[in-house]
Amino acid sequence: MPDHQESIISSDEIDILQEIMNIAFGKASADLAEYIDIFIKLSVPDVRMIPAAQLPSYFAEMVGERERVSIVEQKFWGKFNGYALLVFTSGAESELISILSCEDPDLFRDEPIDDLAKGTLMEIGNIVVGACVGKIAELLNDVMAYSPPVVLLERSVADIIPDDMFNSADSAVILNALFCFENREVNGMLVLLFSQASVVWLKKALSEFMEQYA
Amino acid sequence: MIFPQVSDILDIGIVILDRDLKVFTWNRWMERHSGIAAERIIGQPLFDFFPELDNPRFLRSCRCVVGLGNLYFFSQKLHHYLFPFKPVSTLDKRFPFMQQSCNMGPIRDENGAIAYICITVRDVTDIAVYEQRLIEMNMKDGLTGIYNRRFLNTRLREEINRTRRYRNALSLLMFDLDHFKVVNDTYGHLFGDYILQAVTALIGSLIRSTDVLARYGGEEFCCILPETDMNQAAVIAERCRRTVEANLFHSQGIAVHITISMGVAQVVDEIDTPEKLIDQADQALYAAKKGGRNRVVLSGASEVTPVAAD
Repeated sequence: MPDHQESIISSDEIDILQEIMNIAFGKASADLAEYIDIFIKLSVPDVRMIPAAQLPSYFAEMVGERERVSIVEQKFWGKFNGYALLVFTSGAESELISILSCEDPDLFRDEPIDDLAKGTLMEIGNIVVGACVGKIAELLNDVMAYSPPVVLLERSVADIIPDDMFNSADSAVILNALFCFENREVNGMLVLLFSQASVVWLKKALSEFMEQYA
Repeated sequence: MIFPQVSDILDIGIVILDRDLKVFTWNRWMERHSGIAAERIIGQPLFDFFPELDNPRFLRSCRCVVGLGNLYFFSQKLHHYLFPFKPVSTLDKRFPFMQQSCNMGPIRDENGAIAYICITVRDVTDIAVYEQRLIEMNMKDGLTGIYNRRFLNTRLREEINRTRRYRNALSLLMFDLDHFKVVNDTYGHLFGDYILQAVTALIGSLIRSTDVLARYGGEEFCCILPETDMNQAAVIAERCRRTVEANLFHSQGIAVHITISMGVAQVVDEIDTPEKLIDQADQALYAAKKGGRNRVVLSGASEVTPVAAD
């Protein structure tokens, strides 16, 4: 267990992280547009560190307690580890299906709708998460590996956070950005969660990142 | 020299492509299942051997890997397979091709630049077969082998959603065996069961593979007709009615004629839920019964005048 000071993120570091995410998301959305014609906008991210035990109430506040959402969850690991959660408001699936199927309308003709929704969320989620996390990693000189995406359809916030995600005594670093698909009725939230164990490395990477501007 | 040996031992397919999508590595698993020797395919464009992969999705995933450094997952559920290989499993013949779960990710050179695309291919046919069997057990009617009511409800909901999305026509047939109780009472339930099986098999042979025939309950059945409007549905219904009427059903030394009554309904603006559609078809069926049985009635219309033989 790292000592207390080493595992706390200062407000300066939060600013740096926010800046890095800004750059990363800008690059990610440019790349998504360039390579695969997916046009998304990401808001300026909110970065904060909270006790892991407070994550459920954090999500309840962000999403709304009664709201039904669909979630794409992926673990990533490189020198720092964490979870990426893409939270879509319900109804986004059918819009996303039309993004994928406009290039090949017969593609999904005979698939059951639920499989279709899951497959589409998985596919688009994986692309968006990979692009965003990948760019952050790139800026911090890291390369990420990812677990296959897991899709949860139509859940309430209470079911978003897996129980075993964090040691409840730990803190979690939350990076939260709102996103929307241009010209589509698709909105959602990209949340990246880092465990406390990653913070030591993260602090080092942040200071190295700043050195190039020193 | 270690890695090529490992890659040949692994029970998964490994394909490495360069940025021009020419094959760089083709491991033994891929040789075995494709029948294409490594020395024949290495250095050649992948699409020369697998032209079906030259599609927007595969190209997009390649761009994601090369351009974004993404790891890409092809689930069996959505894609079924990337490489069209014969299934190895003798468990079942339901999949004409090996079901595959595939990953695709970047391989970087010493400078960290993405130089290659690595694809791994896992044979998940057995898992897919077991899953299918479970699903089928859950959606088929034990006696007749056609779909059960639970599946009918799910599928009808899906088809109605699809119809709204693509603005296609959708019709529903509902039918009932006339005087089925008399058959049961006269010849016994075993013969009654035979009649249920024989009539559904006969009707199953008259509909298209995209239509969904289900047992609604007792001697009542439904058939979902996707992309079919009321007029087309009426033709199918009338053909079913006439074929059943003309058929002599015989088993256990007993031979009988059976007739069916049918109601037909279609999705229109105000009839846009499974419940409403079933209710419409049910009302039409009731009218067919009341009108003297052995006839087809369209929802909201009068009886179908039987058309002359085909």
